[in-house]
Amino acid sequence: MTVRADTVAPEKVEPPLRVPEPGELEPDRDVGPDKPWLVIVWNDPVNLMSYVVWVLQKLFGYSREKATKLMLDVHHKGKAIVSHGTKEKAEGDVARLHAHGLWATMQHDS
Amino acid sequence: MEPTFRSTGAGVRVSLAGEHAALLRRVPDDVLRVLDEPAEGVDELGRERGATDPGRERLFPRAYLDPTEEQAEDDWQRMVHPELVAAKRAAARTMAESLARLERRGDRLAVDLDAGETEAWLSVLNDARLVLGTRLGVEDGPDYDRVDPDDPDAALFLFYGFLTLLTGELVEVLLGPSTEV
Repeated sequence: MTVRADTVAPEKVEPPLRVPEPGELEPDRDVGPDKPWLVIVWNDPVNLMSYVVWVLQKLFGYSREKATKLMLDVHHKGKAIVSHGTKEKAEGDVARLHAHGLWATMQHDS
Repeated sequence: MEPTFRSTGAGVRVSLAGEHAALLRRVPDDVLRVLDEPAEGVDELGRERGATDPGRERLFPRAYLDPTEEQAEDDWQRMVHPELVAAKRAAARTMAESLARLERRGDRLAVDLDAGETEAWLSVLNDARLVLGTRLGVEDGPDYDRVDPDDPDAALFLFYGFLTLLTGELVEVLLGPSTEV
């Protein structure tokens, strides 16, 4: 998978520099020092390999080489991580992928 | 054989044999009908549609794989789904409008598409393939030239193959030369 190492959240999360106010940290694992969300494209029998490459290049600005590698991962391994980031970014990326007919989901990095 | 799609720099020139144009003219309406839920009866992309249509569902998958994220999924669907439907509708209308501009050129029908119209065509062609391919339960492998003529879905398999051919041609033009994907 081609997740850039420099943008992946570290395994160890630094403690906050101050004590949070009550209620400031919601017990919602979607907020707080969250790990990045991963956007995954799954293999499907309909989308053409060339079409998947075109979509990945168009949506993410990937090179032909990188888009092709991701497409081949989808094809041979069943899925590939195509982007990652905050929950909002992942939700937007999934929406754009669905708009282009790719079967995409998002999940926490684990 | 003359290519169906050719880059014009600013967009794509479509050149269709008459019978192919006739097949294509129904595609935007087919997709619009799939988008118009709920629907009953039979449509051109195949068979009767009941309460759930796997073809339509394929166009709008879940975002969150984790079933415990149901609230986030609901929120996301509420926010995104109307936009997705609207975008697909707009693409279908754009394709229908450009099909209405087809003009006879020699023994073929032709129309020039700008960049936006070209992407609309690709979007509609691919959505039609997703719906039809899902309903037909197609599997990996382009073996639609070996359709069993006795299969009640034979015509739909052939139509799927036709859409696949056009989609592949159009993607190759958009990807540009020197692409062996």
